[in-house]
Amino acid sequence: MILSKSSHLPNPAPLGVPASPPARRQRRKLPRNASLLVGIVLTTIFLAVALVSFFYLPSNPNIPVIRNRLLPAGTAGHWLGTDVLGRDIVAQLMVGARTSILVGAGGATLSLILGLIAGLAAASSGKIADEAISRGADILLSIPGMVTALVLAATMGSGALTTILALTAFFTPSFTRVVRSAAIGVLNEDFITAARLYGRGKIFVLIRHVLPNIAGVMIVQFTLYFAAGILTEAGLSYLGVGVHRPSISWGLMLNEAQQQVGISSPLAIWPGLAIVLMVLGLNLLGDGLRDVLDPKLARRAS
Amino acid sequence: MAANDTSLVPPLLEMRQVTQTYALNRQSLLGARPQLTVLDNIHFDVRPGEAVGLVGESGSGKTTLTRILTGMEKPREGHVFYDGRDVWTGGAEHWREFRRSVQVVMQNPRSSLDPRMRIGSSLLEPLRSLKIDGDHAARVFEVLDQVGLTRQALERYPHEFSGGQLQRIAIARALMPGPKVLIADEPVSALDVSIQAQVLNLLKDLVNNLGLSLVFIAHDLSVVAYTTSRVSVMSAGRIVEVGKPMDLFVRPQAEATQNLVGAILTVESGLAGNALG
Amino acid sequence: MSQENAIEVRNLVVHNTALTAVRGLDFTLPAGARMGLVGESGSGKTLTALALMGLLPMGWQANGSVRHDGVDLITQSDRALSSRRGRTISMVFQDPLSSLDPVRHIGQQVSSVIRRHTQASKKEAERRTVDLFRQMSLPRPEQLMRAYPHEISGGQRQRIMIAMALACYPQLIIADEPTTALDVTVQKQVLRRLNTAVQERGSALIMITHDLPIIAAMCDTVAVMYAGKIVEMGPVAEVFRNPRHHYTKGLLDSQPTMDNIALDGSSRLASIPGMVPPLHSLPAGCAFHPRCAAATEQCMSEVPTLDDGPRRAACWHPIGATVPMEVA
Repeated sequence: MILSKSSHLPNPAPLGVPASPPARRQRRKLPRNASLLVGIVLTTIFLAVALVSFFYLPSNPNIPVIRNRLLPAGTAGHWLGTDVLGRDIVAQLMVGARTSILVGAGGATLSLILGLIAGLAAASSGKIADEAISRGADILLSIPGMVTALVLAATMGSGALTTILALTAFFTPSFTRVVRSAAIGVLNEDFITAARLYGRGKIFVLIRHVLPNIAGVMIVQFTLYFAAGILTEAGLSYLGVGVHRPSISWGLMLNEAQQQVGISSPLAIWPGLAIVLMVLGLNLLGDGLRDVLDPKLARRAS
Repeated sequence: MAANDTSLVPPLLEMRQVTQTYALNRQSLLGARPQLTVLDNIHFDVRPGEAVGLVGESGSGKTTLTRILTGMEKPREGHVFYDGRDVWTGGAEHWREFRRSVQVVMQNPRSSLDPRMRIGSSLLEPLRSLKIDGDHAARVFEVLDQVGLTRQALERYPHEFSGGQLQRIAIARALMPGPKVLIADEPVSALDVSIQAQVLNLLKDLVNNLGLSLVFIAHDLSVVAYTTSRVSVMSAGRIVEVGKPMDLFVRPQAEATQNLVGAILTVESGLAGNALG
Repeated sequence: MSQENAIEVRNLVVHNTALTAVRGLDFTLPAGARMGLVGESGSGKTLTALALMGLLPMGWQANGSVRHDGVDLITQSDRALSSRRGRTISMVFQDPLSSLDPVRHIGQQVSSVIRRHTQASKKEAERRTVDLFRQMSLPRPEQLMRAYPHEISGGQRQRIMIAMALACYPQLIIADEPTTALDVTVQKQVLRRLNTAVQERGSALIMITHDLPIIAAMCDTVAVMYAGKIVEMGPVAEVFRNPRHHYTKGLLDSQPTMDNIALDGSSRLASIPGMVPPLHSLPAGCAFHPRCAAATEQCMSEVPTLDDGPRRAACWHPIGATVPMEVA
């Protein structure tokens, strides 16, 4: 590194020593961005709840306590009441947050990684690879996600892992497309040509130039697919092909509450509200990040 | 005359009998793919310390010639020589020497620097990539000095600079590995008028002070003429005329040259009322 | 307001919430007159044009008054403005490809402008479109009617844009860098067509460009803009032969011409040092002072205004102020 070598130069104090960039990156000032703020708050709350559920639960969400059946919200010790088997709603929602986040984030992360690999390969490996990957993505996209999930559930048995895999199969083609088009945009820039001209290889260019420049788009996409994953998981569990007890998810709670609609309607409201707020939070976060991370908007503001 | 001195020296970078054709899409399912000849038997060279120009309309083949001259594209027929050796058959060591010695400045300075990379890193990239040893910091400062930028620039990102400054930075990056030939592809056409003159003067100074060879590619004959001592005119994939800038202006021979000279508008001819003929 | 003026601009200011890009513009263009508006990027010349057309991008707002055809364009509703665009005032943009609808025939696009603003029947509008194409020296005008924008060259596209702008004999045409995106060899031809077409219709012309020779060839008067203000204004020949503002002189001197090529080898272009200041940090006083060799303390603190007379300049130390001006 040249850091050490610059020390013998006559005037070291004001030198912009060309250190490697990630070392001390100045945070770009976040503008007053209401949707970003609300998104961060909501998402953080749910993440915190999911974390806390590992260490503390008000009671065991899976053990039936028959004398506590269908307690109304506001009961001491059971602030949101209990379900038909006397299990605490708060505890179930907390464990449900864990499942929803695990499945949503898992599906989004796996498909992000696969989509990055496939998308970058399509963008940079010539016409034949591009055609093969793009048409492959088109074919996968034409298969409805629910069908994929049902087939997987039927062959592997349902559960969190199956749901994550179904989501990955469902999301990866879209990620591939987004990565491909964003990467092609960057690869057409002159600084890529310049890098090739001073001898940088393809892999280096992809990692050092393309990735940082599409990171903003990827982060935004990730939050949106995270949200879509939570919704899909809820749908699958509601249909009975998602997670099962002793695992709990918000969709499963909805499914169980369905039998009590009319008897105790609020049972369906709490998990529904949790889904809506979590998805809303992630979508707002994605929108907010889009404004902050878009290099064009940032450039205009500066 | 400078041009006479260098004409005895063998060329540093040279294209010989280069013909480039591209296959177009088939017209029918089983038909042969039609061929488009973009470059037709091109001879082009630059000698040490010489500044040569290349002009032509868009579509004349300038871009393809530039890509072949810089080694971005391999010619179908013909050879590219650097320092007397064919760059495509000269071996890895010679290729590295070629990569290091022939550097490019592109048209759009905003696109030619990575927006997510500090200027300092961008400048060091060629040295790291080409594995050039030595005191990198000292080299950065030396080059900044040559292009007239301060050291404060190193910590900043491209969006903090104006187009003219970015073009200086792009020139600085091209100078980092200590090239022998600088290829400037429309280096001022994206810049403001008052900045163009600064960049043209800078290129001229670099040729004079560092003994660099310059290949200046543009569509505007007057800009090329200002920076170079020998100009090649391209049209439809061929070099149709080579000459000193003044001769091209006064006695253009080829039709393409006449068109380019005729296209030049000046303030004086405009005021005289006969500019538009 | 005299009916002889194509446009009268008074204290035009264009701003968004953070920046003021045009900082008080005054000019009058008599009917049939031609004015050049010179400026570099960031000078505010394009926003000025868009403000006159009522086409400012989102977030931008215009204040002041723009009298045209008996009304103040600034206070007009969007509906009223859109019935004027193409009829009494029209514009030619820099990039002819993005200004034309890629999925409609060219003939259809031009004749629909005619039909919108006149009572002409479909047949009649199409006949007039073919005539326009012929006037613009476009080859095979009948076939061109059925062509799509991507099928013709850039120079032809720009001539079609000019035909479209001139279709309804507007009082004023604004051309924003109409030849910048074209090849140099077709530039003259396009300018020539624009020149004669404007002449035949007696329209007034505002030519916006950074290219001084184009202004010299096309316009009677010129206004030089710098950092959102007019810094010099007057008849083209006088401004270009004897510039009074140091910025104008700098622009003129940095043009490569036959003279400085002839010097060969060691000759250097005169250049303006420094760079165009960004709008958010304009220098105090005269915005040009950091780049000006003649700047004094007065220039750093006091804002110069355009002086009166036919040869106006906003400069505390105009060129030729102490020596009597030569009569050109």
